[in-house]
Amino acid sequence: MMTTISKKICLLGDFAVGKTSLVRRFVYDLFNDKYISTIGVKVSRKTVAVPRADEVIELAMMLWDLGGSEEFNQLRASYLRGASGAILVCDLTRPDTLASFRTYAAELLSVNPHARLVLAANKCDLTDQQRLAPAEVEAVAAELDASYYLTSARTGEEVEALFRHLGRSLVG
Amino acid sequence: MRPTIDQWILQDKIAYAITDRNLAVVEIGGAVHIIGDDPSACLDRPLPDLVPELVGSEDVLADILAGDLPRFEVGWAYHETAGGQVTYLTMVALPYRDQQGHIAGILHLFQDVTDMGLIAQQLAQNRNELRLLRDQLARQNLELAAANAELRRLDEIKSMFVSVAAHELRTPLAPIRGYLEVLLDEEVGHLTGEQREYLQIVQESARRLLTLTSNLLDVTRIEAGRIELVLQPVDLWALIETLAAEYGPQLEAKAQRLTLCASPGLPSALCDEMRARQIVGNLLSNACKYTPEGGAIRVSLALAEEQGFLQVAVADSGVGVPAEDQPRLFSRFFRARSAVLTRASGAGLGLFIARSLAELHGGRIWFQSEPGQGSTFYVTFPVADRPAVRPSDHPSSSPSTIANN
Repeated sequence: MMTTISKKICLLGDFAVGKTSLVRRFVYDLFNDKYISTIGVKVSRKTVAVPRADEVIELAMMLWDLGGSEEFNQLRASYLRGASGAILVCDLTRPDTLASFRTYAAELLSVNPHARLVLAANKCDLTDQQRLAPAEVEAVAAELDASYYLTSARTGEEVEALFRHLGRSLVG
Repeated sequence: MRPTIDQWILQDKIAYAITDRNLAVVEIGGAVHIIGDDPSACLDRPLPDLVPELVGSEDVLADILAGDLPRFEVGWAYHETAGGQVTYLTMVALPYRDQQGHIAGILHLFQDVTDMGLIAQQLAQNRNELRLLRDQLARQNLELAAANAELRRLDEIKSMFVSVAAHELRTPLAPIRGYLEVLLDEEVGHLTGEQREYLQIVQESARRLLTLTSNLLDVTRIEAGRIELVLQPVDLWALIETLAAEYGPQLEAKAQRLTLCASPGLPSALCDEMRARQIVGNLLSNACKYTPEGGAIRVSLALAEEQGFLQVAVADSGVGVPAEDQPRLFSRFFRARSAVLTRASGAGLGLFIARSLAELHGGRIWFQSEPGQGSTFYVTFPVADRPAVRPSDHPSSSPSTIANN
């Protein structure tokens, strides 16, 4: 019988970077171009099979999509309690959204020192509007000792890989 | 019977669940529908199975059971029912004590905050969309500023090129015009009628070339803000009379009748004499060009309606300016269709220069025109303190004809 475990994963990032769209793409394989601001938290669940040593684990990923507006900053610490990992999301067309990563990472690690991190530089399909170079994302990823993915919730590029990478690191 | 406030809140807005030390539901009540389940189906089930927000919070709940944490709250949790109905819940976990005061489990309270949540969502939506627009505008402004700087740089290069080209064209014109005069004055030998005619054509072409290069230089100076005016009291009437005399041959060639008139007792204008001559000369030249043979031109000088200004008006009986050309008449290199149709010479710079120079003086220039009815161009110059035109000087305060056929 396959072992089943649940893990809480938070998606963190500034408003309108595409956190909700990444979850929607991963969980439902859907994308909607219209921006709808998330307030508070929206929890979704997706179960994936993840290999560990000589067995396969059934991992229930509880995805906490946290509102990116700063008015919810005070609530964030309570949302982060118990998170095993987090995906930090930035928007490749808005450089300041990458600069916020250090703050989010510090907040998460202060609550959960052993939480795993992975970075998503989203909207990689908007090539003509990109104002962040992959090298800049790579530098921040190295600083935070995390992997990074150039993703597109619109096309689905690297979205599955992003979540599966985090899933593997959580059960490994 | 009307429900009490307590009953109403508990039935509509607040649900509760009590879990044992294993987080299994032992009691549930209140507005259970807000967490979307049949109360009887919830009993004995682990609460995290019913409330996904509790998954991953087991350590926190254990702290409550251990008495290490007084409360745990998750605010603004978004829920969507199978029917697509959105609710926002706020959840609070508190220690649940038995009769002896020992922590026997956890009391979970769920409050429906959908009304506030929907308003907060709309506010956040509007605020974030505004921020995105602001950022987009800031980016576009930066791009426009960069494009503008590049255009300025290119414009400077263009102006520099035009300036250099005009200078280089003017330099050989001086000896050409000088030797033409020597030839036409027959200082080096007699000319046949045919030779004189050809040389006069060359002379006229050289004159036009000189005008063109002078205008190009003026345009580059105007664009660069390098025109300097030498302001002094100028007798505009004398200036008009001189110009009329200079244009005599042109007027005569087309059998045009020029009438000059001035109001009595006018003061002098405060202007740069050379530039004022250029402005009025340009208006007179245009009037000659666009008035047909045998037509009439009238130049008048009077006090302007605006206090402290003199006004020169040049009226012609020419083809007029088509309505669609009028808004662009003072633009650089613009030539009205009437100019093209009448094959009048020019590069479309004269009126641009005239307007720029008039505005540099603090005056203005404008026109009135009806196609087929002729045009009247007006230009104003500021009045100088010292009077220059005495009524007795001008018996021709009634119209005086300078040239006619």
